[in-house]
Amino acid sequence: MAPAPSLPVHPPNGPTQAPADASAPPQQRSQKQMTKAERRELQEAQRAAKAAAKANAAPNGAGGQSKQPPKAAPPPLTAAARKPGKLADPVLKAPSTPGTGRQAHARGAPPVAESGPPNARGLRIFSHFGLPKPVSVAKGDIHPTILRLALQFSNFKITGANARCIATLNAFKTVIQEYVTPPNNTLSRHLMTHLNPQISHLVAARPMSVTMGNAIRQLKLEISRMDIDLPEQDAKDALCQKIDNYIRDRIIIADQVIEETATRKIKDGDVILTFARSSVVQKVILGAMEEGRQFSVIVVDSRPMLEGKRLLSVLSSAGIQCTYVLLPALGSVISEVSLVLLGAHSIHANGAVYSRAGTALAAMMAKRHSVPVIVCCETYKYSDTVQLDSFTKNELAPTTDNFSSFPLVKSRDALLIQNQINLEILNPLYDLTPPTSITAVVTEVGVIPPNSISSIPVALGRLL
Amino acid sequence: MASGESSKFNLHATYLKNLQNHEISPPLAAILSLSELVVNSGAGTMFELVKELHEGAEVLKKSTTNPISLNAGCELFIAFVTLFPHESDSFAELKSELMRQGQKYAREAISYRDKIAELTLGFIKDDSVILTHSYSRVVMKALLHAHKTKRISVYVTEARPRGLGIKTYEELTAAGIPCTVVLDSAVAYVMDKVDFVLVGSEAVVESGGLINAVGSSQIAIIAKASNKPFYALAESYKFHRLFPLSQYDLPTHNPNILSFRSPQITAAQGSASGVSPDNQTPAINDISTFMTPAISSSRTMSADQIVCNPDVDYTRPNLISLVFSDVGTLTPEAISQYLVAMFAG
Repeated sequence: MAPAPSLPVHPPNGPTQAPADASAPPQQRSQKQMTKAERRELQEAQRAAKAAAKANAAPNGAGGQSKQPPKAAPPPLTAAARKPGKLADPVLKAPSTPGTGRQAHARGAPPVAESGPPNARGLRIFSHFGLPKPVSVAKGDIHPTILRLALQFSNFKITGANARCIATLNAFKTVIQEYVTPPNNTLSRHLMTHLNPQISHLVAARPMSVTMGNAIRQLKLEISRMDIDLPEQDAKDALCQKIDNYIRDRIIIADQVIEETATRKIKDGDVILTFARSSVVQKVILGAMEEGRQFSVIVVDSRPMLEGKRLLSVLSSAGIQCTYVLLPALGSVISEVSLVLLGAHSIHANGAVYSRAGTALAAMMAKRHSVPVIVCCETYKYSDTVQLDSFTKNELAPTTDNFSSFPLVKSRDALLIQNQINLEILNPLYDLTPPTSITAVVTEVGVIPPNSISSIPVALGRLL
Repeated sequence: MASGESSKFNLHATYLKNLQNHEISPPLAAILSLSELVVNSGAGTMFELVKELHEGAEVLKKSTTNPISLNAGCELFIAFVTLFPHESDSFAELKSELMRQGQKYAREAISYRDKIAELTLGFIKDDSVILTHSYSRVVMKALLHAHKTKRISVYVTEARPRGLGIKTYEELTAAGIPCTVVLDSAVAYVMDKVDFVLVGSEAVVESGGLINAVGSSQIAIIAKASNKPFYALAESYKFHRLFPLSQYDLPTHNPNILSFRSPQITAAQGSASGVSPDNQTPAINDISTFMTPAISSSRTMSADQIVCNPDVDYTRPNLISLVFSDVGTLTPEAISQYLVAMFAG
């Protein structure tokens, strides 16, 4: 897998590539005469070829790895079978294009690798964004559940900070239950070395969410605390119980408390605006509906993911009066809004909220119009870091069919813009809402202003 | 049930009796009354006791139109009771211990104002001109304390409709502090002459904002616009776990406030014909016979019109420079951190 040598520095790349490719040594000698650009071009071509080989091998690899998978087998196979089809197109083109493909440079396996050098230079500041990329051959002993989960992550079948965290923890429960401590080892010391490759496999599929990071840190802590003298099965059961408790306390019950608290802030006659889809916001709105409040909802949505549609269908089928607008229309509706409810991917120590791209725009617009902005966020989404902008850390949204939701007047191929040279599609997945444009954060410990979020771990006396 | 009813009745009476003391503010009166409720309660377990306290708090809340500061006191006491270590031999002993602690707290709490006055003194320069709003015990204490060592002069708003600014004026001039009453609508006019604004508070809420007599918010906005510091004084028992999102999210807000009356009734009132409620008509008539023309009566608000107005308003945290309290001089951010630490722990 690519993550380890992912630094876009030249010297390390050469050696890693050399053993992989039989034809590498002679080319490497000639590299001295080449210009820098030519050398890079060559590397990219080699890498792309390698990735193509990897991708083609993926179904076999995944199938080979999963020894008699009980029920995990069909999904990986179908998902993996879809992969090569998706990939074939760009991968084949990659060697023929003269460009270098800066994304390929950043992370190794390129789904799209065509853009001219001048353009590529202009966008290089985004090269560190994690790319949705195909899951290649698993390194080491990866559990089939994890293989399956990694595919679901990389294909955006499971999205959302809560859903990903719960799915990861449940998968780890299976892994832990099927783990056998090797002789001359203890569970508390060895289990982590067994889990680490599983974690890095998941991270390779899609960068880890803050929630997963927090949950895994807690899990590691629990594993290291396990009594050495405990029988193996008891220790496993205890760990699974701990995981269940974590899910229950930090996510499920937290959501219930948030729902209760935030529902009280919804008054009769309110017009609530929300952006995209957050599971907690959905629960809050439905909760207020159950309590018989009279209000209407404006769902603001944005391409490319159009996640708000799902929220819209849930809310409107529950009988709530809804309006659906796209982000450019925000300015037209904001003056009617009395409350903005937002979800979060994570919340940082300075109170900045990291959430789906477009959230910051909605929050800032509301702030400008003096509409209260409420962010619903469990405390386990707290990240101890400070983030000041959404360039330092971000992901790219999956390159979906941008036009599937619109009536087509031209043929689809004519609209597929990513094939054009000198054109780079950039769809950041997240953005950062500054604390100044947030009125309040609703957490399970109460309603707090965003810049006081860092006092919660201190107040609760625990690691979040 | 009858005993329960009687104890509740006593509770309200005790509350009013406690309020008689000039030094006692509503949250302290609530704490004192609840600690008396503890001793008088027939509760046999902690759970019952806390339940009874909650019921008592409800009774007190219902008895007044503005329960915010009272609520802060009740909340503090109930949190204290639930967190109190159970070391006593019997439950009756624990109850009397709780009452002693409550009364001890109230006694100490009265001295908090001196502490705040001392803290505020450091921020008052010689020859300062101070704007204050309405009447506040803690602001009075701070001003009188500052007067001992520094020359200060004070503008005080009239604070309609209760006109408590006049009370401030009387007390300050009696103490020899130069003082002028200004109209509530003249705050922007006076602001450039002022060095800083000093207000008391009904409650300090979790956002770091302030709930105080109506008019505070607009004074804060004008102070912010003129780049003048806006200081609030608040004893720590006024810190309240409440997060108002807007003026209309306050517990004191009701549909009657800011409601529009149908034009016919208003017109009828203007022409002084008897469509208005019975208790209104005599008042208007009295004034119109006593004062010269009917014009003067129509140019002041009737009690009916005042009812449509709020008693308190909410000042946003970004308008407040500092809050002086007995736990220290805090920024609005620190208030919320303090509150999270106090109640979440």
